[in-house]
Amino acid sequence: MVGLPYDCLANPLGAVRLTFEKAVASGIDPATFDGKDWGATDLFRDFLYENDGLSQVPTLNDSTIRSLQPNTLVKFRGMIQDMLGNEFYVGAYKDGSVWRTNKFADHSQFPIGSSSDMRVWERRLLYCVPVPGQNSWTESFCQAAVPPFANSTSPAREKRQRENDVDMQDPDHEFQDSPSAKRKREESVPSQSSNLQANKIGETSSNTGLVPDFDGNSFPCLLKMYDSPESDLKLNDVFEFIGVLTFDTELKTDADEVTELNNSLYEEELTHLPPSKVPRIHCLVHRKLAVHDFLSSPTMLEPKPFLVKGIRETLLGHLTAVLGNDGLAAQFMLLHLLSRVHARVDTVAVGKLSLNLTCLNKESISIFGNRLNLAIRNLVPFAHSLPLTIDYLNSVSLAPRKDYQINRLVSGALQLAEGTHLTIDETQLQTGTLNSTGVDNARVLKSLTELQKVEYEFTYYKMDMAADIQMLILSEGKSNILPADLVLPLRPSSVDCYGDVDPELLKAWRWYLATMRSLPHSIEQEMQKVVEDDLVAARQADRSLGSQELSRLLTMGRLVSVSFGDTCLSLDHWQMVKELERLRRERLQGSV
Amino acid sequence: MASDSSPGNINGGPSSPDDIISSPIGNTLSSPGDSTRRKRGRRSTSAYATPPPPASSRFATPEATPTLSSTNPRRGRRRVSTATPTGAAATPSSTDDGPPSSEAGDADDADETPPMYVWGTNISVQDVNAAILRFLRHFRENPSQTEGKYMRAINYVIEIEGDSLDVDAHHVFDYDSDLYTKMVRYPLEVLAIFDIVLMDMVSRINPLFEKHIQARIFNLKVSTSMRSLNPSDIEKMVSLKGMIIRCSSIIPEIREAIFRCLVCGYYSDPVVVDRGRINEPLICGKQECLARNSMTLVHNRCRFADKQIVRLQETPDEIPEGGTPHTVSLLMHDKLVDAGKPGDRVEVTGIYRAMTVRIGPTQRTVKSLFKTYIDCLHLKKTDKSRMQAEDPMETENGTARSDEDTVDYDNKVEKLKQLSQLPDIYERLTRSLAPNIWELEDVKKGLLCQLFGGNALTLPSGASFRGDINILLVGDPGTSKSQLLQYIHKLSPRGIYTSGRGSSAVGLTAYVTKDPETGETVLESGALVLSDRGICCIDEFDKMSDNARSMLHEVMEQQTVSIAKAGIIASLNARTSVLACANPIGSRYNPRLSVIDNIHLPPTLLSRFDLIYLILDKADEQIDRRLAKHIVALHFENPEILQEDIIDLPTLTAFMSYARKNIHPQLSDEAAEELTRGYVEMRRRGNFPGSSKKVITATPRQIESLIRLSEALARIRFSEWVEKQDVMEAFRLLEVALQQSATDHSTGTIDMDLITTGVSASERMRRENLVSTTRNIIMEKMQIGGSSTRLLELLEELKKQNSGAEVHLNDLRNALATLASEGFVVVHGDSVKRI
Repeated sequence: MVGLPYDCLANPLGAVRLTFEKAVASGIDPATFDGKDWGATDLFRDFLYENDGLSQVPTLNDSTIRSLQPNTLVKFRGMIQDMLGNEFYVGAYKDGSVWRTNKFADHSQFPIGSSSDMRVWERRLLYCVPVPGQNSWTESFCQAAVPPFANSTSPAREKRQRENDVDMQDPDHEFQDSPSAKRKREESVPSQSSNLQANKIGETSSNTGLVPDFDGNSFPCLLKMYDSPESDLKLNDVFEFIGVLTFDTELKTDADEVTELNNSLYEEELTHLPPSKVPRIHCLVHRKLAVHDFLSSPTMLEPKPFLVKGIRETLLGHLTAVLGNDGLAAQFMLLHLLSRVHARVDTVAVGKLSLNLTCLNKESISIFGNRLNLAIRNLVPFAHSLPLTIDYLNSVSLAPRKDYQINRLVSGALQLAEGTHLTIDETQLQTGTLNSTGVDNARVLKSLTELQKVEYEFTYYKMDMAADIQMLILSEGKSNILPADLVLPLRPSSVDCYGDVDPELLKAWRWYLATMRSLPHSIEQEMQKVVEDDLVAARQADRSLGSQELSRLLTMGRLVSVSFGDTCLSLDHWQMVKELERLRRERLQGSV
Repeated sequence: MASDSSPGNINGGPSSPDDIISSPIGNTLSSPGDSTRRKRGRRSTSAYATPPPPASSRFATPEATPTLSSTNPRRGRRRVSTATPTGAAATPSSTDDGPPSSEAGDADDADETPPMYVWGTNISVQDVNAAILRFLRHFRENPSQTEGKYMRAINYVIEIEGDSLDVDAHHVFDYDSDLYTKMVRYPLEVLAIFDIVLMDMVSRINPLFEKHIQARIFNLKVSTSMRSLNPSDIEKMVSLKGMIIRCSSIIPEIREAIFRCLVCGYYSDPVVVDRGRINEPLICGKQECLARNSMTLVHNRCRFADKQIVRLQETPDEIPEGGTPHTVSLLMHDKLVDAGKPGDRVEVTGIYRAMTVRIGPTQRTVKSLFKTYIDCLHLKKTDKSRMQAEDPMETENGTARSDEDTVDYDNKVEKLKQLSQLPDIYERLTRSLAPNIWELEDVKKGLLCQLFGGNALTLPSGASFRGDINILLVGDPGTSKSQLLQYIHKLSPRGIYTSGRGSSAVGLTAYVTKDPETGETVLESGALVLSDRGICCIDEFDKMSDNARSMLHEVMEQQTVSIAKAGIIASLNARTSVLACANPIGSRYNPRLSVIDNIHLPPTLLSRFDLIYLILDKADEQIDRRLAKHIVALHFENPEILQEDIIDLPTLTAFMSYARKNIHPQLSDEAAEELTRGYVEMRRRGNFPGSSKKVITATPRQIESLIRLSEALARIRFSEWVEKQDVMEAFRLLEVALQQSATDHSTGTIDMDLITTGVSASERMRRENLVSTTRNIIMEKMQIGGSSTRLLELLEELKKQNSGAEVHLNDLRNALATLASEGFVVVHGDSVKRI
């Protein structure tokens, strides 16, 4: 092979054109095939996955945006925050007697003004943002190695996250002059800043040196999708998009000059997402990402039992240390970290296991809360934390909301990707009055804990969006706003600092959590009988056990065996679940 | 927009390759710099070469009028000049056009001219013209009518001086499916012809009629979903359902401009809009003046039309899992402006159009992008919620509605009727109700009755009887009461779900506020008023404040909410069924206490519930085992397998709303007899040996409940008559509910007094016994007219005889009072005397 006649990286459009010409030459009539792929994506797929081109593709993010050339191949990892509908474009047109294509491009390379024969095709627009709460260690995979356990990064990260929310709204406001929007801005800004203050403790100035032009953290991206079935892409899914970057300032003037008439007929993204601020990617290849893809060591270990057991032990040890030598809490924490919603039957989300650690007061929260946050951030790819205060509840909108003025979904703190870990610190909550926003937010939080659903506000109606979020609640007594599946009083016996963790171990733990979480699970016929008998007996003994409790026991059974890398519930593990539950009950009674 | 090319190309010869474009989008390129024109492109296009005559004189010779006025804002015709796309507005270039006079409007004459075709198609203008004429003249809904339906409609429109004629696409299809196909595929052209035909007919009927009548097509055979609109739909007629989310302000759009010469004061002839522009005359038109650049626009002599841009969003049920709703812009004109408000659910018929996006407002280059919108032809409000169809005839376009839906609707109704004929429909519906909650069969049956409801009745005297059934669920925690409630809320046509803890009295009924803008006091409806003709679900009923609860008294029986405050005295309708659920007082049912003590609700309120279900968590191993199995299956099996054959939710709601709307069952004689018999028996049942007074087991309220329940049961079967079986089932339901809730726990009999007065029969029995014992003692110890006895002595004696039970002084006093009223004794302070 004498090298490719085109450069997929530097000139992807050239490659697209080439395949198009080839396709036309081979007899495909562009007039009839209606925008379907003619082999361009196959070419790129080949290049990326077969010829190891993926590692050469630069990542698009806040720091690389300035060095990347438009019309080159880039990759972007993000969560679908909003879907902006479809866009019609001139897909193919005749330039003289030659067919040209516009697919994967904003503009045509050749003037189409005089062309008389053209075909209109369709593409989808997606508004993507970096995954909320993405932890720094996940980025180290793509970028230069960052020490995975740098103490300062986490709080800073959190702070950035908040800014993120503000920034996402800001570009919109700039082009809004309706009074309501202004009022909204005035309302939202002080509230946001108050949150910032709440989070400023422990902040370091690690992120000040970032690119000044692009407010680093909000780094939205407009994706133009071709040939993908609608069901493929869902809101809040995390994807890796590889495509052609276009990032130009040519259309900048548009916003100021469109009349009201045009404004309302033109799609709003032009006005509100000026291309000078939001880069566009014409997506050639996309791939849904799982937690695995964020691990720094993509080498997959075989889940060998002894290996898994070893990792489990060390992780449990680590969690015990983090939780001040509370072994029981560590056990439950491990189960909690492994939980995920694996099925939904009507309204019941099966497999969730939210944990409420009680007996934390303002003093101990500063120790354990931070420690726990840090530990979790180092273990899971996406983590987010919410300090719950009356002010916060009253001022922010946790659930995403559709703003019809700009025709966009305004993100809320609870628009999170699947599998995100959410820590809610309730210890800061004082007595006070909730206003209607506050009540709404409390309700949203409650429905998230109970049903794993977030109600998106569409003004005229609400829409439930299924979520899969691990909820950890830290509170002084049992939380009433957030009825967690498990309530466990924390009994730390020491507040000793624990030493730094070996990065290799950390990697193993991440791998362990990611892999075990996704294991399938089943239960044998005989074991089913045993479990049923146990449940019946338990219920006969204690009438207060509802279906929720029983369901939780089964979830725990699943998670315990999964934590050993087993795919089938064994009697030992079931006994262990009952023992854990007994200990928990004992402690619960002891604490009253 | 094939239409933009000259339709007058006789025999289809394109005159200029630049201008004649086959692709609809091609048109957008012909004048790329001008998006405004494209936006209202429909207006400026005409498939038909007829120069639109000024509305006033339909037959004016078009060649003579360079300024063509059109009263049709949507589809005003203008002479299209074929050779120069940038040509001046109204200069008819006669080179390629068909001779304008030849088809100056009369379709009947068209035969003589050579056939004309809509460009790029084989649609002959004359054929279409004739077909439309035939359709309008001869379409009849049934053969008996002498005059065509649309002829009558046209006459009517002329009479009321309307400006549009609604044309049901189904009628077009029935009459001439070929015309329908052409109309949907080439709406611009066909509609233009349609309008001309209409105009022509109108002017024949009434030559003085000046207004222009447009055809508004609605009710297409196929309704497209917003999601599936794609490039192939461009320039086609489509019909969409959705919800209006935003309306722009009304935009006045200039249609005709008149200029005045500043030098000589000469008024120009009206200049019509051409491709979104008014071409300002450079030279004064007066021969004597001919001043350059002297013309100025005279605003108040120009004509403007209303225009509005509306955004339509997909309805929630069309959004796929994990997606966000799509939106589409609509362009409304004239009468359609403000026809819908944000929040309305509408069905829109219109033409899907695309326009290019310019790079800059002044640049002629276009981006290779298109923005799409729908040029709206017809807008119909659809039902806001599922069961608002209670009174569809009251909606403004009620008459249109009755025939527009017919075919589709009939099919649906037929299906529902078939469903209702199933022998096990009652059981099947019960199964389909909250299928994930098992057991509780009878509760579900009760809820089903509530959903269907009885007949509301208003007597001529003004007395009214509610048809709504109120249900209270009392039960142990964790018995899926709330889930049931949520489910019913989802299913019910209209309804509010509130929690007792968070509800205040005003929040439930209505409250008065000051409007922030006008400062007027306005009445804001609360949950109960908002759920008029629906179901108001109240969770945590027991945790409601007494104040709030007391508001319910009126609502639950009179079905109104009366307000008297802040200068507003009003009575609002609240014809709502109440579905409440409560926990027993100790949060767990205490079987040793009476129901009243457990529920701890005022008896006055309790008696207003037709059915009170006690959902108790009994320690039943069988049930536990099922639960355990269920949960294990939930976790480890494919959950889909668990589904039984049940009716899906949309069918269920359709079934329900149809029944509520159309079925009004009446009591058959047999049923009435059964009702009487059953009621008498129920009352008799209260008799038990050893008591002199009858225990009342049923009250008139119960008989009303029974009627309602049996009516609802008849409705489930789509039966116009309440049969005996319905009444029997109603009795069964009531009894099941009563047995659980009105059981006197000391005697085990049904006792409605327990609910109405809060005192149980056994308690009364005890009193009765006390009275008789006291009487016996007095008979023994005292003579008539003898000396009086002190109360305490009597009490001592009583205690001796009633060795088992505790007797209090109060009880004795009560007993003596009873005796005194019989004239047996007299009580003076502490002494008793036999008389």
